[in-house]
Amino acid sequence: MLSTLDTDLRRTALSADEVLAIRRRRRWSMLAVVAALTVMVVWSIDVTVIEDTDWERMGSVASVLESAGRFMGVDWALFPDLVKPAIETFMIACLGTLLGVIICIPAAWFGAMNITPFKPLTYPLARLMMTLSRSIHEIVWALFFVAVVGLGAMAGIFALAVRSVGFIAKMSAEAIEDINPGPVEAIRAVGGNGFQVLRYAILPQVLPQILGVIVFEWEINIRRSAILGLVGAGGLGLVFFRQMNTFNFPGVTTVIIAILGIILVGEVVSYFARKAVI
Amino acid sequence: MPILEVRDLCARYTRSGPEILKDISFDVEADDFFAIIGPSGAGKSTLIRCINRLVAARSGSITFDGRSVTSLPARELRSLRRDIGMIFQEFNLIDRMSVMDNVLSGRLGYTGNLRTLFRAFPRTDVQRALEMLHRVGLEEHVDKRADELSGGQRQRVGIARALMQGPKLLLLDEPTSALDPKISREVMGLIKNMAQEFAVPCLCNIHDVNLAMEFCNKMIGLQDGVKMFDGPTAEMDQAKLDEIYAMEVL
Repeated sequence: MLSTLDTDLRRTALSADEVLAIRRRRRWSMLAVVAALTVMVVWSIDVTVIEDTDWERMGSVASVLESAGRFMGVDWALFPDLVKPAIETFMIACLGTLLGVIICIPAAWFGAMNITPFKPLTYPLARLMMTLSRSIHEIVWALFFVAVVGLGAMAGIFALAVRSVGFIAKMSAEAIEDINPGPVEAIRAVGGNGFQVLRYAILPQVLPQILGVIVFEWEINIRRSAILGLVGAGGLGLVFFRQMNTFNFPGVTTVIIAILGIILVGEVVSYFARKAVI
Repeated sequence: MPILEVRDLCARYTRSGPEILKDISFDVEADDFFAIIGPSGAGKSTLIRCINRLVAARSGSITFDGRSVTSLPARELRSLRRDIGMIFQEFNLIDRMSVMDNVLSGRLGYTGNLRTLFRAFPRTDVQRALEMLHRVGLEEHVDKRADELSGGQRQRVGIARALMQGPKLLLLDEPTSALDPKISREVMGLIKNMAQEFAVPCLCNIHDVNLAMEFCNKMIGLQDGVKMFDGPTAEMDQAKLDEIYAMEVL
């Protein structure tokens, strides 16, 4: 802003009045922008904070602190009840990732420009699958599958599988597009068919990279499966939801600790697994 | 009767693109070590890839072992490729697989999809692979990964893979260009010995004229897609070479 002003002044010989007029105009437009932003912020605060908050229930600062304080402490009695949901969360993440990988096989095959079987149809189809998978949140996928297959872990598995396709298939397809074409030529030259080219010339080149991506997605899926229970799709999230509904706040803290625990386990396993394959 | 007959071969990569090969004709006999020489960009690689149809010819005919290469449907094309071994400038090995797997991949044309999936080759193939590796002097490296080998060793794996096919013709695409001069001569010698022993004719792209003169009995010279010379190696002389490589000086 300042630099354009300087060049304006330098370009022509201006009188003091003209310079002041230009500067005044700039000042007013700046003020208008700031005023517009201020109005928008104030309006947003009014709608979301002032009107939407139950001020009477919140009470004084002391009572807010007291409410937060209810979460302090751990409900040790809950621990035995967490073992099964924790294992379930873990299993949902594993099976969801596995199913996702299976769906990824056609998605990556169709979505890699150099091996897609019928470019005008299969390539856009695969890209659509990947985009759809990633642009819908896992909670929304879970709500959809809860509606389709009912409450329980199966809905969670489907939600994670579908949500995982986008990333795994995209990274795999890109790895396939970047291969060295020499071995492909060699396997075709010995009389190999399409499947043999895939198995011998393409798969060995991309497998380590794809395994790394799968492990990474699995780690993310542990995080995701921990909250899927909020919408009834099984695992720790369901326990979390129940503690919340029964106002057992130390219980909520307990579940959060459990979630942190399994995520930590996932991260450690993922770190070593990825180091091993790459 | 020649094993390979090429007549009036023309090739281009795109419909409107430049003509890479212009009316090339030549014959390869059953006991030939046949060289294709010429400067880079002359069309040597394209020509050799037309023989096993890694590149489709635009017009002309190629007859290999009594079969017309240019008109085969996919399945028969694969069985034709089984009979033609190919050795590449950059070796084109599968780096992450073992030397043994690379040599066995020469049998893929004879192997079903289920066996391919599990890399379960029959015992006879494994025995044959061991014998081939012994012949190219890599018996110590059977279980090493292909990317652990040196350039010369990698090309020996390429030779073993091509011979695993039991080919009736070997296509060599600049087999020594990625190697140093000493190793180049060794590798050419090995190819020539193996070809003689298995009675396989060779068609070899090569830009090193000295190597071509030393190892090949016939040659054609290409310049910008046009055949400039066709005859026994003995008839090639400096004047003709100068003509073929004239473009490269510019």
